[in-house]
Amino acid sequence: MTSADLARTTIVLFVVLAIQNTLLDGVRVAGAHPDAMLLLPMAAGYTAGPDRGAVFGFAAGLLADLFLPTTFGLSALVGCLLGYGTGLATRGLVRSSWWLPLIVAAGATAVGVSAYAILGAVLGEPGALTADLVPALAVATPAAVVLATPVVRFVAWAMPPVATGRGAGVGAGSR
Amino acid sequence: MARTRRSRRPRLTIVLLVLASITIITLDYRGDAHGVISSLKRAAGDAFSPVQRGVDAVTRPIGSFLAGAFNGGELQTENEKLRDEIGQLQRQTLAERAVQNALRSLEELDHLPWIQNIPTVRAQVIALNPSNFAATVELNVGTASGVDDGMPVVGGAGLVGHVIATSSSTSTVELITDAGSNVGVTFGSSSGNQASVAGGGIGKPLSVTLITPGTALQKGEVFTTSGLPNLAYPPLIPVARITRFSSNASSTDEAVTAVPVSDLSRLYYVDVLQWQPAA
Repeated sequence: MTSADLARTTIVLFVVLAIQNTLLDGVRVAGAHPDAMLLLPMAAGYTAGPDRGAVFGFAAGLLADLFLPTTFGLSALVGCLLGYGTGLATRGLVRSSWWLPLIVAAGATAVGVSAYAILGAVLGEPGALTADLVPALAVATPAAVVLATPVVRFVAWAMPPVATGRGAGVGAGSR
Repeated sequence: MARTRRSRRPRLTIVLLVLASITIITLDYRGDAHGVISSLKRAAGDAFSPVQRGVDAVTRPIGSFLAGAFNGGELQTENEKLRDEIGQLQRQTLAERAVQNALRSLEELDHLPWIQNIPTVRAQVIALNPSNFAATVELNVGTASGVDDGMPVVGGAGLVGHVIATSSSTSTVELITDAGSNVGVTFGSSSGNQASVAGGGIGKPLSVTLITPGTALQKGEVFTTSGLPNLAYPPLIPVARITRFSSNASSTDEAVTAVPVSDLSRLYYVDVLQWQPAA
């Protein structure tokens, strides 16, 4: 990773964090709001593969944890698993469809939010599973579909896809 | 050979990252690194605070302008201030009613703490619910203004929550609706009626426990903080109003649901009470 890549990655992390903390946190439906920070690991795994997805997801999660009242490190754990999982799950896919990132974003967000609630409950916050999970899923998943395209493109700008053969690259096969 | 090394690397990376995450979570959970993590969070809050204030200053007028297309922007600002004043008056009335009840049974006590004697710090809510899994708000005051962890926060007609984290210029308040919140309360004409008000999650009603079936209750009755030693709040702050109650023969508790006396979805100004629970 060059210093230019590192600078672009840092810009992406802080811009999305600022948008999340200042604008998206205020968009509340039934007490829940969209979660763009959870889209970052998914976008990194989708564009750059499982390895870089996991590292980027860990960094994004740790940064998000600095501003959350929940257990420190929880978002980092979910983030690295989500980045790795998305990278693995989408590695062989041909990315010619505009709707593919939307479906991946919805699926990854649903998995990420559920994992966060389950781990929160394990760590002594049962309300995360019993009270908060349903509204969080109902709001964050459709919001992920709306935010997926700009977030994936922004992350792809910072982490250009590594050509590893058929189907590699966010825009491979598209015009 | 090269392929094997390449395919092992992602697995090694994810294993190391998961181990690092679990180590951080364990350190935070056990409280071993609480000081370091709190310092990091405080520094991040301080660094980010100007951005948050700047965006808030830009977006609030836009929000008011957009709302103004339907409601009138100036009227909305005026309404927010009036709502704050009405809330304070309601809080005062409810608390006075509660103190009258308490005084009746606690005449022998010399030093009954009373909320109006506690110094307060006026604060503005600058962000709502940073997490989907914790009911919290961010305030524009921190340790530099005398705000500290554990301090109760009141707004509108009653209790809002308590401070759980601070930076020099901001603080995080856990609301009484948070699924992990529990407030010791008293109700009725006798201060001996104790109960516990538990949060049901963001935007959900509160549940009240520890009330014996058959206890005389009224819809709209207000619970106030009990102020028992070692609890997180001073006594006689209005907390919640009963919306529903029913007895079940098979249950050891009356099933009671309540709503906060303060409208927690429309918080704008709040007061932080400079009061700390007894050690």
